Amino acid sequence: MNKSGLLVRLAVVIGFASVAIGFLSTQLFYRLTVNQEIEIANQSIESLFKTVQATAATAAYLAEQDLAQEVVDGLSTNEVVKNVVMTFEGKSVKANSEPMHNSMIFPIASLFDPDQSIGQIAITPNIDYIKTRAEQLARENSKAMIMQAFIVTLVAIFVAFYLITKPMISIAKALHRTTPGDGSRLRVPEFHGNSELGVLVHDINKLLDKTESQFSEERKLREEIEALEKRFRMLFEKSISPIILMEPRGNILLYNSAFEQTLNKLGRNFQKSFGPLLSELFVEPETLANAVEVAFANDEIATGEFRLSSINDAESVWVQVIVTSIVSEDLREYYQVTLHDISKRKRELDMLAYQADFDKLTKLNNRQGLEKYLHNLIEAESPFTLVLMDLNWFKQVNDIYGHKSGDEILIFVADKIKKAIRPTDVAGRWGGDEFVLILNNADQTQTTQVVERLVHLISKPYYLRKYDQNVTIGASAGAASFPTDSSELQALLHLADQAMYQAKKVKESNPSDFLRFAESLIEEDNA
Amino acid sequence: MLGLSLLKTMVLVGSLSASSLVHSSELVVVVHKDNPTEHLTRSQLIDLYMGKYVAFPDGSKAQPLDIDNDETTKEQFYQALVGMPLNRVNAYWSRVKFSGRARPPVVQQDQQAVLAYIESTGSAIAYIHKNNLTDKVKVVYRFDE
Repeated sequence: MNKSGLLVRLAVVIGFASVAIGFLSTQLFYRLTVNQEIEIANQSIESLFKTVQATAATAAYLAEQDLAQEVVDGLSTNEVVKNVVMTFEGKSVKANSEPMHNSMIFPIASLFDPDQSIGQIAITPNIDYIKTRAEQLARENSKAMIMQAFIVTLVAIFVAFYLITKPMISIAKALHRTTPGDGSRLRVPEFHGNSELGVLVHDINKLLDKTESQFSEERKLREEIEALEKRFRMLFEKSISPIILMEPRGNILLYNSAFEQTLNKLGRNFQKSFGPLLSELFVEPETLANAVEVAFANDEIATGEFRLSSINDAESVWVQVIVTSIVSEDLREYYQVTLHDISKRKRELDMLAYQADFDKLTKLNNRQGLEKYLHNLIEAESPFTLVLMDLNWFKQVNDIYGHKSGDEILIFVADKIKKAIRPTDVAGRWGGDEFVLILNNADQTQTTQVVERLVHLISKPYYLRKYDQNVTIGASAGAASFPTDSSELQALLHLADQAMYQAKKVKESNPSDFLRFAESLIEEDNA
Repeated sequence: MLGLSLLKTMVLVGSLSASSLVHSSELVVVVHKDNPTEHLTRSQLIDLYMGKYVAFPDGSKAQPLDIDNDETTKEQFYQALVGMPLNRVNAYWSRVKFSGRARPPVVQQDQQAVLAYIESTGSAIAYIHKNNLTDKVKVVYRFDE
């Protein structure tokens, strides 16, 4: 049995209470009984005296000592009497030698004149006897009390058990088994429809109702949140753009699969940190850092297009970077970095630029590209020599074997140009069968060397597979130098064209004189 | 008016006590005419009759007498003397007889016997009706005193 169970506690409390009450009431009863017994003894002594009054009066009147002795002896035989002394006419008769304490004094009235006292009887009550009797009574009473306490305890425990504890325990057990949300309810114990326990059960059931409805509401809410969360996660995970949440110092807290894919593309493995603002991933991290710093200083979202550095030298990846500063509720700063892959667009743009500046057939710069390059050189005041070169006998090949063969020849020439020029030089197709070489920092000797090498390569017979025929072409070239000849592009072009024209004049008479310089132009004009 | 009613009350009380006196005055206590005792007090008479001190004031022994066949007179005497009915007087004597030295009065048949006893015995004392008085006895106590 549970030591701190209700029933045990109740039994202990009731038991102790009944024993205590029994003890106290026994004490009280004993005192009351003693007083009562003394009172009764006094009364009985009084009535004793009354019964012997006449005899005593006779004895006193006649001064009969024997009769008086009989009276006191008779009185002293009573249990409540300890000793009796009768005095009359100077005589004294006593029953025994016990001391006289707290005696009751009764005057003896004369038989023939009630107003006249002729002696007295002193009776000492037997206090010990009275007390013993009172104790006896009290003991019996306490026995009865203990019996009563025992019975009351039993009855109280019985009633408490069947009326309170048992239904309470059954309620407690039922409640213990109940899990809010399983729909079960407590049963009202029998005979407790309107009792406090019944009310308790009703209230518990009401509470269960409330809890259950709250539970279902919460569950619904949680489901909604979960669905929302799922969608958010989907939005985040399925995003084709890498999204990264990071600390300003560089630790990556959150990233999506698109980021992993991008890393794969770059030939990198994921690491916890790629430096502040993913600096390790960018070709020019300083530019990005500057852009972000400026934007944040202006309280703006930092955006910009930057190139990612790949390890495996695969095609370059360009991204539009959007960096947002987020301050959380606990006042910590985070960066949200979104990368939009713009490589394709970048490539298209490059292609467009390439197409604008390059000749489709020969893959050399076209006239526009050359002009752009020349403008840049002039603007930068970088010295160069411009060589304008025109093919000889190309028109004939074109006419005899067709455009396709002409194109083949042009590609062949372009190939030779790429081989002949120095790495620092740039070449291009000016239009038709005219080509331009831009030789950086080249004097006449160097220019001659390059052009000679080139013409030598071009002048070798070219085998046309389609016609099973060897064709041979040649070239005439004119050169003008910046800034020695002129610092104007048009003037330079004009000078080169003039020089080439001079060379062209001797293409058949003196094929080895295929290069002319612009320097003597004015002198020749003068001559 | 007040004086008159007071007077009336006094007359009434006087007549009542007179009638009781008449009744008790019928009994007198007598001794032999030669007895030196002239007069007894009520207390002396009680002691004589109840056995406490059965002697005359001069110390000579006395012999009280009772009447046997006249209960009415006997009752009248004890009632007047100690205020007790006869049965209590009898109970008193029955108590005393067992233990005591005291003896109850000597019993005579009737008043004539009493008178005769007194005439022949000088120490005798008795109660008789007043109208039975003779010159051989002398009254020592009257209840109307």
